[in-house]
Amino acid sequence: MTLTIRVAEEWLHSCSGCEIAILNTGESLLELLEHLDIVHMPVLMDHKLSGQLGEKEQLTVPEADVGIVSGGVANEEHVEILLEMRKKCTTLIALGTCATHGGIPAMANEWPMQQCLTTVFSTPSTDSCSVPDQEVPLFLDRVYATDEKVAVDILIPGCPPDPDTIKHVLTALIQRTEFKLPSKSVCDTCPTVRKGKGETDKVRRFLDNADYRADQPPDTMRCLLEQGLLCMGPVTAAGCARHGAPQCITARVPCRGCFGPVRQKGNQLLDMMNALASNGIDFKSLIDRKSLLRFSGAHGRIRKRRFKVKGIRQR
Amino acid sequence: MDFEPKIIAFCCNWCAYPAADLAGIARIQYPAGIRIIRVLCSGMVHPEMVINAFNNGADGVMILGCHPGECHYLDGNVKALARSEMIIELLDDFGFEPERFLITWISSTEAAGFAHVVTEMSERIKRLGPNPVNPAATTI
Repeated sequence: MTLTIRVAEEWLHSCSGCEIAILNTGESLLELLEHLDIVHMPVLMDHKLSGQLGEKEQLTVPEADVGIVSGGVANEEHVEILLEMRKKCTTLIALGTCATHGGIPAMANEWPMQQCLTTVFSTPSTDSCSVPDQEVPLFLDRVYATDEKVAVDILIPGCPPDPDTIKHVLTALIQRTEFKLPSKSVCDTCPTVRKGKGETDKVRRFLDNADYRADQPPDTMRCLLEQGLLCMGPVTAAGCARHGAPQCITARVPCRGCFGPVRQKGNQLLDMMNALASNGIDFKSLIDRKSLLRFSGAHGRIRKRRFKVKGIRQR
Repeated sequence: MDFEPKIIAFCCNWCAYPAADLAGIARIQYPAGIRIIRVLCSGMVHPEMVINAFNNGADGVMILGCHPGECHYLDGNVKALARSEMIIELLDDFGFEPERFLITWISSTEAAGFAHVVTEMSERIKRLGPNPVNPAATTI
């Protein structure tokens, strides 16, 4: 059964890449649009939260069947918009890794918010000025994923999310049918040649080039992890593969982990380090391991640094 | 208020758990804050289980396995040790003192040894104070 569904879209702590991914569905967007009634989408069309003339006193989102939210939650305005979206939308979709796992902005969670503000507003290279505190929303204590603040029905990770997945989900919602999101890891969609472990004992820097022949397809290339490059494929959710290979692998660079952990509660840092340690690879050769959580720092995975307690040693 | 640390002890089925059992039968006293979780082998304790325990408020976590060379599965405890070095490194990243974690070996007959190790661990955690994620940590 094909129906027209009302769609409301909002962006929170994000870069509009997810909205561009919606547009990137290409020609099939035209077919989709016949069944989508977009009632609110500030990124792409003029529709204001406070009314077109600013006449409403509170933020208002029109009633919709499907709500799409991109971006994490970093300030009080984000919380307000997100709560309003949850109230007005029957089905809420978190689109993109910022919304599902915090994304890049959540890397700020490593430092207290005050310190982040000091860094931004008074570095030696900028004219120093005070942190604005009037008529701008206050920051929260850290960056949150949307599902930490409200119940989210569908989580579509990716930085940016795969247009085909967006199309698949929206089509299923229009036709009232089942849909299936990728549940495996990037490695399951990767065609590179795996010969087994045991040859590498150190991790090479990301800047090192992989060994490959540019005139040959990726399925003739040796697995990048086996080449000693830190590829996050094993600990990253699948969904980016197009034309038979994950996109970074097609570009011959290791997976950066942008789809977040394979399981919603997984931890990319722990899983990757565990994989390295149990395969006899020296985990200390990995410089700046904390950046393994570069896309999934919300849900309290990245914690603020602490002060060391002195005087007690490990046996 | 007295602080009684909650310590999760992952005990392997073949050495550490029988040792704990024996300690009970022999009525050897040890702190009541030890919560034993039986696992088949110390080598199966994924770092995520340790971090999860801390995230959920455990004040300390121990992995207790067979002495090196005596593992029921030949080298499970060696793997556990390799992982533990990593866990100790990583605890700092997650905002916990590495001293809250301990891996050590107990044979199935070392009931007194078991009691000694857990008592010592409990003392150590008492000196460190409660887990920083606990609301109680701010009031004490």
